[in-house]
Amino acid sequence: MSSTLSSSPSSPSSPIISSSCPSTFSMPMPASITPPGSPPSPTMSVDSINGLNALRLDSPLELDQLRKIKVMIVDDNSINLSILSRMLEKHFTDVIQRTVIMTSGVEALKRLATEEFDLILMDIDMPVLTGVQTTVAIRQNSSECPVLEHNQNVPIIAVTTSDGAEQRELYQQVGMSDCVSKPIVLSTLRSAIEGAMKARG
Amino acid sequence: MTATSPTQAPSTADTAINNIKGNEEPEVADKGAETETETDAEEYDDNGIIDHTTFDQLLEMDDEEDHEFSRSLVWNYFEQAEKTFVDMNDAMEKLDFPDLSRLGHFLKGSSAALGLTKVKESCEKLQHYGNRKDAAGVESITNEEAETLIRALLVQMRREYNEAESYLKVFYDGQE
Repeated sequence: MSSTLSSSPSSPSSPIISSSCPSTFSMPMPASITPPGSPPSPTMSVDSINGLNALRLDSPLELDQLRKIKVMIVDDNSINLSILSRMLEKHFTDVIQRTVIMTSGVEALKRLATEEFDLILMDIDMPVLTGVQTTVAIRQNSSECPVLEHNQNVPIIAVTTSDGAEQRELYQQVGMSDCVSKPIVLSTLRSAIEGAMKARG
Repeated sequence: MTATSPTQAPSTADTAINNIKGNEEPEVADKGAETETETDAEEYDDNGIIDHTTFDQLLEMDDEEDHEFSRSLVWNYFEQAEKTFVDMNDAMEKLDFPDLSRLGHFLKGSSAALGLTKVKESCEKLQHYGNRKDAAGVESITNEEAETLIRALLVQMRREYNEAESYLKVFYDGQE
């Protein structure tokens, strides 16, 4: 992954600028979105095939969520990306199947239009499209800026230094499930991920 | 994840920056140096350059046999910081305050992630000054005040970065 990032002239508070997505992000979705039901997973049959004990006392996940998840990380800073992806690789192999890294909200939206994800870890302060704007676009799933139906209500966790009370409330309002402060503390990250995946079910 | 090459020839802009570096000698080659505040001795045993709580968490993610992950991360940071300092100086010449603020915020993130306390705090000040606010980000300041403050801050930040860079290079040299 290249650490050379092009300098972007936009300031964090600039209006939404995007050639492919509209600027109609003024109506954030309510936080009480009911996620579509997860496709039924053949857990019991998988368990019997693998001979796994159906009672997983040491697993934080529900029985119907034994399937490992696919995660997208979005951040414009390559150092932060390296650290977070290493954390997932080192400490979350029990829950994560695969991690995909995106360096901008624009790139994230493009990917979400073609590939399904189970969780997004979203930086907030990014040029062109902020984490909040990207989240709004995902939740709106408009015809001009579509994502796969599966992704419209994907759990999104903010990962940011902008973690004040007002900002946390905003993240919740636009449909993010949690906010993890940077620099990331492992236990906080784990709680947030477990919480988001439980809520999904 | 492929590590970015750690070696890169400094640009002429870097040379200009280097001219105002001042004392380049590592000030904390001796890791057992006295601390300024004894209450923080656990985390800041090197004059507050590194927050060990944060940095140690990174080291814990290294494989047991080597420090390849954290080393490549730190060298990526060096590269990123050098480029950002160039961008900051360019923005300073144009008095592009919003860009200076954005650059301060950007480098603050990675500095904080590595536990580089002083650099992080200076980046945060730059973020505020670029927004025409005081160091705490509360009171408004004029463009002239911002310009003066930022000029001095960029010199200070460079010195603090050099200090951190020296410390980290000594640390990784000792890991060979």
